Amino acid sequence: MLILGIETATVQAGCAIGGHEGVLASAHSAKGKRHAENLTPAIAFICEQAQIELSEIGLVAVDIGPGLFTGLRVGVATAKAVAFALRVPMIGVSSLDLLAFPVRFTPRLIVAAIDARRNELYYALYRQVPGGVQRISEPTVGSADDLASELLALSEEVLLVGDGAHRYREAFDGLTKVEIVDQGNSFPSAASLVQLAHAQALREDFQQIDSIQPMYLRRPDAEINWATRDSAP
Amino acid sequence: MNSGRVQAGSSSPEQTRELAAAIAELARPCDLVLLVGDLGAGKTAFTQGFGRGLGVDDQITSPTFALVQSYTGRLDLYHLDVYRLEHMNEALDLGLSEMLDDESVTVIEWGDKITQALPRDYLEVSITFGEGEEDRLFELRPVGSRWQARMRALTVALGAWSLSGESATGEPPC
Repeated sequence: MLILGIETATVQAGCAIGGHEGVLASAHSAKGKRHAENLTPAIAFICEQAQIELSEIGLVAVDIGPGLFTGLRVGVATAKAVAFALRVPMIGVSSLDLLAFPVRFTPRLIVAAIDARRNELYYALYRQVPGGVQRISEPTVGSADDLASELLALSEEVLLVGDGAHRYREAFDGLTKVEIVDQGNSFPSAASLVQLAHAQALREDFQQIDSIQPMYLRRPDAEINWATRDSAP
Repeated sequence: MNSGRVQAGSSSPEQTRELAAAIAELARPCDLVLLVGDLGAGKTAFTQGFGRGLGVDDQITSPTFALVQSYTGRLDLYHLDVYRLEHMNEALDLGLSEMLDDESVTVIEWGDKITQALPRDYLEVSITFGEGEEDRLFELRPVGSRWQARMRALTVALGAWSLSGESATGEPPC
């Protein structure tokens, strides 16, 4: 089965096609804020490169975040549209899983951290397991200092990966047990998405289009006080 | 004049735009401006002038239904209206953190309703109705250091529209 993977959780937008033979074609662009403009031409391009018709796609995988709101909406909406048109199932994968997966060959604790803007991060902790990684904490939103304190308290060798780790690297400066993965791996990749979705597809662990939702990690909500609006004529 | 606040007056939507353009001349990347005022007070007219001052060429329209619109200028502008929202997180779902972190200027109509969800560093512009049908009074209140540092410059920039002594309604500039 051929899988189309769509990934737009950060300033990078990417897509990939693959299946049991691995990844056949992929395209990524990190020139920010152009997800909507870049994504569909990129999908057409990788189909051409892989010499397949879009109609041959049997599964659409999508990065559901956490990540940038504007990017996620473009990616999730595009993925749903393709799945709907082709009448194929979907698989949603977390951006943090996609960050941890390529750097899994380590006994160290892996911490995936995506830039949530304004000095905040989306992050989760991972361990290597046979064939992949296992998430050992719930995805969280917090400040870079929060994460640095958490890592200091763990007192363990840590591999820190993601654009959030780079953006707020000063916060982790004093932590001798923490190593930050180079920038070549700091965005989730659509190729990893196809790989992870393929493993999940073998277990027939599919999702319906309606059940795919972006993962918006947020703080507790509050109602807006609209006394003025609601009493307006 | 209240300490730390600047007051000004306008007697037409066009004057409101000119006044807003003068404020926009002082805008910097990542600035946040909240517009406070009843329906019809002139929040959108203010933003149109503000956009003009930022070098936005496109026509700025009310974002009440689109919720957020973005424009390209000398500084890019995000224009939001939160009037139709019910929860703070709906504002965050619009990508507020990304907008505020984007070297752009963000203007939020009814922004005073969602200050809990915003950084405490903004310029609040309150617009109230004056005596004449088209008269409007403006009060600019800086919250946080970004705009506090610019209040002198704002006072000078708005000199033509300032409310001094007895002339409580807006006089034409010059």
